[in-house]
Amino acid sequence: MNGLVCLICGQDRQERMTFRTLLSADSSPGFCRTCREKFVKIPQGHSCRLCGRDLGLMDEKFISGSVCTDCRRWEKSGGNGCFGRNIALYSYNDWMKEVITTFKFRGDAALAVGFRKEFRAAGRKIIGKDWRTHWERLRNGKHHPRETCVIVPMPLSGNRLKERGFNQAEVLAELIGEPVVPALCRIGGERKQSKKNRRERLESGENPFKLDEAFSEVLHGTKVLLIDDIYTTGATLRRAAAAFERADPKCVDSLTLIHG
Amino acid sequence: MLSSSHSPETTSFSKDLRQFLYGRECPLEEIPFSEQLIRDHVSAGWINLTDGIQTSGDGFFSSITGRKKYLCVRCGNANFAAFASITCGRCGRNCVYCRHCLNMGVIRSCTKLATWIGPAPDRAVPTPEEKLCAWSGNLSPEQTKAAAELDSALSEGDSFLIWAVTGAGKTELLFPAVEHALLRGERVVLSTPRTDVVRELYPRIKAAFPEIPVSALYGGSSERQPEAPLVIATTHQLIRFHRYFDRVIIDEVDAFPYHFDPMLAYAVKKAAKKGASIAYLSATPPADLKNAFLSGKLRGVKISRRYHGFPLPVPRFMWTGNWPQSLRKGVLPKSFIEWVRGKNAADRPLFCFVPSVRLAHLVTELLQKEGFASVAGVHAQDPNRHEKVTAFREGRIRILVTTTILERGVTVPGAEAAVFGADDPVFDERALVQISGRVGRSADRPDGDIVFFHNGKTLEMIRARRHIEQMNREGGF
Repeated sequence: MNGLVCLICGQDRQERMTFRTLLSADSSPGFCRTCREKFVKIPQGHSCRLCGRDLGLMDEKFISGSVCTDCRRWEKSGGNGCFGRNIALYSYNDWMKEVITTFKFRGDAALAVGFRKEFRAAGRKIIGKDWRTHWERLRNGKHHPRETCVIVPMPLSGNRLKERGFNQAEVLAELIGEPVVPALCRIGGERKQSKKNRRERLESGENPFKLDEAFSEVLHGTKVLLIDDIYTTGATLRRAAAAFERADPKCVDSLTLIHG
Repeated sequence: MLSSSHSPETTSFSKDLRQFLYGRECPLEEIPFSEQLIRDHVSAGWINLTDGIQTSGDGFFSSITGRKKYLCVRCGNANFAAFASITCGRCGRNCVYCRHCLNMGVIRSCTKLATWIGPAPDRAVPTPEEKLCAWSGNLSPEQTKAAAELDSALSEGDSFLIWAVTGAGKTELLFPAVEHALLRGERVVLSTPRTDVVRELYPRIKAAFPEIPVSALYGGSSERQPEAPLVIATTHQLIRFHRYFDRVIIDEVDAFPYHFDPMLAYAVKKAAKKGASIAYLSATPPADLKNAFLSGKLRGVKISRRYHGFPLPVPRFMWTGNWPQSLRKGVLPKSFIEWVRGKNAADRPLFCFVPSVRLAHLVTELLQKEGFASVAGVHAQDPNRHEKVTAFREGRIRILVTTTILERGVTVPGAEAAVFGADDPVFDERALVQISGRVGRSADRPDGDIVFFHNGKTLEMIRARRHIEQMNREGGF
């Protein structure tokens, strides 16, 4: 891979020369400015507290107390279980759709590297390994026992994995740079979520996710961070969270690249 | 050698599988037949499997750096930067994949490419008495001579260069050679880097060979016929073939992106059978072909006269002053405006070539502001590009502002052309010669004005003019 060339368009990246870029030995691959600016970032200060969607893109009447109507519905129906909240980094738009198609369905796994900086920062913040948490811990002087957090990627069924060649959630999870625990597995050759409509997604029967018993002890009383590429209705993530219930984790949060 | 229980002669192979795979190169998992059937064919020696990506890690340099060399067998990509690796879900190991030909389906190190090496299917050979070519026009003496030479070269299996000025009637002089090849039962492909050119050629070829199934292949094409002996395709589409064509004709061999993307030359080489002859057609052949021709290594012919027998219009240079600055101020240079006004009053359709997409928008806008009514701008990403070009052909649009995408393949009778900002590095000799070739193509209006508006002559402009004058001299003017 060539770090000077954009992963998407193949043009020269033309990063602005700063002291940091001049002095660092890092020339990891990424996107150029034009390609990057076509993604729509979700402002973390103005996003739904539960699903992480950009509230700026919604009508005021669908928001109450910085929670969107969809999440209220989930709360009311009691479908949340031990699922806590989701954080998403980008909104879904045509450009993102194109990039994700190349990444997921055409198999260009290298594209994930372009999201490393943002994804890693967001992941580390959730599991409490960013500099701010470290600083707080130092400043308070008290020796907090550090909360453990386990990163679990959303699994693919065996057939799908064979067809696609890689698990996109696992590739994303590895960007965080912390050990990844493949504690979930997916059974059955279920129909693709992306080929179903909203009702079908919410109503399909048995839970396809299963917890690997070998990990249930590790997960007891810890925080779990689920990683996936996209949060659409939240049904998949909630089912995966439900599969953890047996191991009784403290809570299950999730981090997705996209909300859409 | 151990004798196997079933030798290729005794057992029969699946005809459907052969029809699917013959002349193609297909990743194993994309073959729509059962795994068992394919395995049987492989062990019987009818199907050959090769690694999708070849790795070579030997040599002093790579043993020190640990860096390996990869080659994507499908697209010929050997650029290290265009490969990436992933922990593969299929083979469970670290797999390298090619990012260059990704949009045709990913090729990984664990991918096997299948090709048919068993007996070839029989072909329907037309009876020799039949006349396949229905084209009834007459060739000029130059065309007749070139057509005869091309025919004999291709029949003898030699490659051939046709170096013909723009508007020489290259397509028509192919017909005799194509007809003879088809009569011999050979598969012929007429390939070109540009989709527009395929779209223009298809109806003409189809009309010329009404009895023969013709297939047109380009991104999003609908005229696909699986067994057609005559194929018109963009060079990109040839990547799907493997040792299939007996004769390859490449039109506009110097057009973008053929000489910028080595994958396309690789695709042509792979689609042709071993030892197949290749005919190259161009008005401005690239240096390697030109040198091979001039030194006698490549057979060929030069046609320096248009089919209608009139000389090529020679470009004029006109100084505009600092045009980037005037555009920034929102005005078009005076000399340019006056020229456009004069031509517009004389009611001639005008091409106005500009160096970039941004300028296409800007110049269109400024011309509209100047009060010219039917002005339109086109560029490669324009979704209405084909409609606008059609409207220009039909005379509904009088001034067409365009980037270099329309430098070839478009014929509008009586059109005249201006190159705005001809000193921009985008306009090299090749492009300027092609643009000048848009003018005076029809027999009833063989003259026309071609003006390069510039802020300082460039070497490329002078070379282009010299090229055209030289061709005219060789044509006897």
